[in-house]
Amino acid sequence: MTALGLYIHIPWCPTRCIYCDFNTYIEANQSLKERYHVALLKEIRETGIATGHPPLNTIFLGGGTPTTLNPNQMLEIIDTVAESFTLHAEAEITTESNPATLSLDYLRAIRRGGINRLSMGVQSFRQEELSLLSRLHDVPTVHHAVEWARQAEFDNLSLDLIFNLPYQTLSQWEYNLQQAINLNPDHLSIYSLILEAGTPMQRQVTQGQLPQPDDDVSADMYEATMTMLAESGFEQYEISNWAKRDIGNASFQPASVRRTEVSTPKLASAHNLIYWRNQSYLGLGAGAFGTYNQVRRANLKRPHDYIKRIETGTGLGMAQDEKTVEAIDRPTAMMEHIMLGLRLTKEGVSATEFETRFEVNLADHYQTAIDYGRSNGLLEWIEAGDDQRLRLTPSGYLLANRVIVQFIE
Amino acid sequence: MNQEKIRNFCIIAHIDHGKSTLADRLLQSTGTISEREMQAQVLDSMDLEREKGVTIKASAVRMGYTAQNGETYQFNLIDTPGHVDFTYEVSRAIAACEGAILVVDATQGIEAQTLANLYLALDYNLEIIAVVNKVDLQSAQPDDVAQEIEDLIGLDAIDVLPVSAKTGIGVETLLEAVVERVPPPQGNLDEPFRALIFDSHYDAYKGVIAYVRVMDGQLGKQDMVHLFATERTVEPLEIGVFRPMMKSTDSLQAGEVGYIATGLKTIRDVRVGDTVALDNNKDAIESLAGYEPVKPMVYAGFYPTEAEDYKLLKDALEKLQLNDASLIYEPETSQALGFGFRVGFLGLFHMEIIQERLEREYDLDLLATAPSVEYQILKTDGEKIIIDNPADMPEPTYIDTISEPWMHLSVYTPADYIGGVMEISTRRRGEMIKMEYLDETRVLIEFNLPLSEMIIDYYDNLKSITKGYASMDYKFGDYRASDLVKLEVLVNKEPVDALSVIVHREQSYPRGQKLVSRLKKVIPRQMFVVPIQAAVGKKVISRANIKAYRKDVTAKCYGGDISRKKKLLQNQAKAKKRMKMLGKVEVPQEAFMTVLRLSEE
Repeated sequence: MTALGLYIHIPWCPTRCIYCDFNTYIEANQSLKERYHVALLKEIRETGIATGHPPLNTIFLGGGTPTTLNPNQMLEIIDTVAESFTLHAEAEITTESNPATLSLDYLRAIRRGGINRLSMGVQSFRQEELSLLSRLHDVPTVHHAVEWARQAEFDNLSLDLIFNLPYQTLSQWEYNLQQAINLNPDHLSIYSLILEAGTPMQRQVTQGQLPQPDDDVSADMYEATMTMLAESGFEQYEISNWAKRDIGNASFQPASVRRTEVSTPKLASAHNLIYWRNQSYLGLGAGAFGTYNQVRRANLKRPHDYIKRIETGTGLGMAQDEKTVEAIDRPTAMMEHIMLGLRLTKEGVSATEFETRFEVNLADHYQTAIDYGRSNGLLEWIEAGDDQRLRLTPSGYLLANRVIVQFIE
Repeated sequence: MNQEKIRNFCIIAHIDHGKSTLADRLLQSTGTISEREMQAQVLDSMDLEREKGVTIKASAVRMGYTAQNGETYQFNLIDTPGHVDFTYEVSRAIAACEGAILVVDATQGIEAQTLANLYLALDYNLEIIAVVNKVDLQSAQPDDVAQEIEDLIGLDAIDVLPVSAKTGIGVETLLEAVVERVPPPQGNLDEPFRALIFDSHYDAYKGVIAYVRVMDGQLGKQDMVHLFATERTVEPLEIGVFRPMMKSTDSLQAGEVGYIATGLKTIRDVRVGDTVALDNNKDAIESLAGYEPVKPMVYAGFYPTEAEDYKLLKDALEKLQLNDASLIYEPETSQALGFGFRVGFLGLFHMEIIQERLEREYDLDLLATAPSVEYQILKTDGEKIIIDNPADMPEPTYIDTISEPWMHLSVYTPADYIGGVMEISTRRRGEMIKMEYLDETRVLIEFNLPLSEMIIDYYDNLKSITKGYASMDYKFGDYRASDLVKLEVLVNKEPVDALSVIVHREQSYPRGQKLVSRLKKVIPRQMFVVPIQAAVGKKVISRANIKAYRKDVTAKCYGGDISRKKKLLQNQAKAKKRMKMLGKVEVPQEAFMTVLRLSEE
């Protein structure tokens, strides 16, 4: 049985960061926020009915900043999901958060209400960098927030960091990373800065107001990250994700990868694993994406449009943006399976699963692409019991796109 | 027609000085064509040209003009090609005339090329009627320009006619001047038929149309004719005159201008400058002086940027060649650029025109290699070879001497820019022959300059250094032995054929460095370090490394990103398919384009 995840989008932010291109809005209008909340609850209920209340392994509240919701709203959402779906007893329930929005009381309230994983957008431990990124929080706030999260009994805490910022040097990045390690998180998501088109930061770089981050420096920082985290007891399981090393298994992991050297760590994000394993997920809220029954659909992006559609509609995809509906045929699914699966640096892509799912032999079908990757030292086959798994080598992590492009027909 | 009533003349003018406006005005004033017909005709011929590769040139128009003396005259206005590479064609048009209207813009004065053509006309003893055009403009200085004409060619300034082709001012006076001042033809009607071919075009139905000026005798429509240069004998499908569309007639007589529809299918069978005679007494006829076979001076490889456009390029070249006897080409293959053609041109401007027509009219995206000239090589074994492609150059040890064409170049510039003109010319190995002040502010400088140096960027440099005021004219001088070498560019140790050039040894260093640094910018990183080298023979003269690829990864990819990130990767895969392989190195087609286009700068 494959896992099913639920993504819920909370589009509100206290401020907008200059590098961000997500579907977010400043939370100015309380009545719009209230109407959005009501609409979201309706979409959860309607979707539950339309899909027949299926078993749910994960819930992920993303944004935006979900912690701009008050605890009652957040718990109402979780309760409504629990009523509308068959929520697994050990379901992973994550919320993203901005440290500046957190307090001990708040964290206690949402933890009691069922949130069991906290992902915190820290980004940097250097004040000048936080200011450059126009983040709302300062460095002491991060330390407080982490302390409160532990006091509130969050035993699965993840921190987000960004490297290769304008002006940032390798040693400054190493300082940031060391600060994060010192806070002893269970999980780290670490991204090289992407200058997304249309963001103020991208514009400033184009216009020369900010220096263009350098790819070679980025590669140096990435390699330093891999080394430092390995030495600090973290296991890398995805190109940009690390989890505390443990002896257990991640939730809902296919039997074939249990207790082998290709095991994804237990504290890996179960929800995100659903994406990378090319499994099904539903997306609710403004602009949210879901891939369910071989169809990918996204909701209307603007909260106002979304609310209006929900207020009058019923059923699955009631607020979908018709322009973004995409039927995932088999060749597309195969390509996505590889594109996503190769991101998983430990488990990679299982030849057995691939053949079962697509009725195509992975090694034969992609012989040229696999030869290219292996002869350049970027791909490897790994034995896992009866199975063979194809995955990137560590030197392939930084060149993943070069490898994946070979698989595109 | 009594020759006394015939006036054959051409118009000599610089681009933009109003030649075609004046020609249009003459056609209208003589009632040859109405304004509405004029526009309709222009449009028609463009459409026709697009569809069938046919040009209807109004380049030898017959007009009837009733003068103030009450007599009606036959005017034949012969067009002259408008740019420097067609000097030979201009000389043949001039040889078909007794008079020339010199048109000078009243706001700008005489330009170099006008002067060159004017001297040509004087060599042929043409009667010159000087006209200052655009006198209706505020900035016109007709008196100054008239004085300039007097100083330059000794025409009396008071004989210079003020005209505005646009408004019609002075046009009537000009027509009268043609009657009074241009001498009538002096052909002998009793001699055997003999005519000069001064132009041609291809007609889909009537074959190659020869534009002729009858020198002596008379041609009937049933007569078989003989073309001397190509030794072809044909029975014309039709003879006639341009009014301005082709209108058949029963005969063409001494002094007249008209056409012979030969029915021949290849434009090269009808050579400009050739003599036409009756087939039955061709042996008794002496051919007219001045014929020269067309000879390309500049060569370049033309490649479609998309390989699948090869066939389109081939078709387009075929169509252009129908009407351009001076255009020659043959298929060529480049390791870097794929399948294309080696094309020969009369000069750099001719090359530009052809390239522009291929791109605009045939919607082709082209890649042109650096233009080359014809080198004469004397090998150590005594064999003489001629090459126009660096790829054909023998190893240095087999070369005794290499000679290259030198041109005689005239630059006409405001005196303020003398220093700049000298600098860009001597930098290109130019040797100054003389400098002459035409008046207080304008100077004529003559150089000997290697053609290979002139075709790279000389004209653009000249224009930019003189803020657009200079003009130039050139003609072939001689072949001279020079210290020339083949400069090769190697990517990952393999030579890139499309980037090889033959250069003077002294310039191999700067050219090599330039090519290397440009390639370094446009070749993307590979999985391994890629050395880029410029070399002369085995000696590397410039070198740079492209660092190995280190990072090409999508930082994050979650549920909402999948479709977008997938599209980016698909685009990357598509771009990869368009890459050209240079050995193991993937190079985007655009890289060659950038380097080749930049090298023109």
